[in-house]
Amino acid sequence: MGRTRKKIHINHNSEFDLDLAPLLAVMVKLVPVLLVSSAFVQLMTIETQLPQIVQEALKEQDKNPLQPQVVAEMDRKSGFVLHYLEKGSEIKTTTVANNPDGSFNLNSVKSQLLEFKKSHPEIFKLELKPSENVSYQEIVRIIDVARTVKDQGKPFALVNSKTGQKEATDLMYPEVVFANVFEK
Amino acid sequence: MARRRYEAPIRKTSTFGLNITSLTDMFTMLLVFLLQSYSTSEVQIEPPKDLRLPTSISESNPVDAVQLTLTKSELRLDKSIIARLNSESFNKTDLEEHDSSFIKPLFTTLNEMSKDPNSKPFIKEGKVLLHADAALPYATIRKVMYTASMAGFPQLKFVTVVGD
Repeated sequence: MGRTRKKIHINHNSEFDLDLAPLLAVMVKLVPVLLVSSAFVQLMTIETQLPQIVQEALKEQDKNPLQPQVVAEMDRKSGFVLHYLEKGSEIKTTTVANNPDGSFNLNSVKSQLLEFKKSHPEIFKLELKPSENVSYQEIVRIIDVARTVKDQGKPFALVNSKTGQKEATDLMYPEVVFANVFEK
Repeated sequence: MARRRYEAPIRKTSTFGLNITSLTDMFTMLLVFLLQSYSTSEVQIEPPKDLRLPTSISESNPVDAVQLTLTKSELRLDKSIIARLNSESFNKTDLEEHDSSFIKPLFTTLNEMSKDPNSKPFIKEGKVLLHADAALPYATIRKVMYTASMAGFPQLKFVTVVGD
């Protein structure tokens, strides 16, 4: 009579505890380090880092002062007034009235700037002349509106003088110049 | 004869396992949040408490530059007070008599910095980071821009907070 073979019992429902203590020790040290060095308010700056094609267009514009210019006046009473100049003389003036609460109508300002930009895509400089009573926040808002059109893809096309190919950009008036800083 | 009261045996060497899974979960979430908000900018800026910066959609990180702070009550260069403001405009004593846009103490300080032969490269390039209160009128900010340009600091960058 043969002996019956002993069956090894396998427990398929077995569980084991993972030792989380070392992981916790690392986190306890890492969290204070990050808490101390984190920046909870993200600060940025407004500056002009421009693509090569835009920089070339701006240089060309600086060389030729008689090229079309866009000059914008900001006033809390008269609103946002856009002057289009060609060869030094004014060819068109558009006024965007302020909202009833006195704030600038940013959507209308944007559409007016877009309209002129589409007819003169080679102009990238906007000369801004805010009135003394306009707040700094309102100026920054107008600069944001004038610099890019991020919600419309890359609607402006320019021919690259080196490659001869068309290049698209979403930059509208990236170089905003405060034209009245030295005015008395 | 009184019965003896039963006393539970005390095991002096007893241990118990602490369940730290939930604590680890919490720390993992905290770590992810902190790593996400960790700033990668090369320049760390600490705006003063009484300053409310304007919001902008700009995505350029700050660069090394002379830091000018313009609050509703004072103008500071780095951490030293240059001039005081009274109801959002500069005191007349700080302004040039024949040129109301010219802030004398600011010009003197910036001019000294630019003339120092051992000055940092960003001073030679004339870079300024302007932290100005969002509510200030352009008239006040224009005076700082005008004086900084006159002192050889024409590269002005506005510091803003991310947001719409």
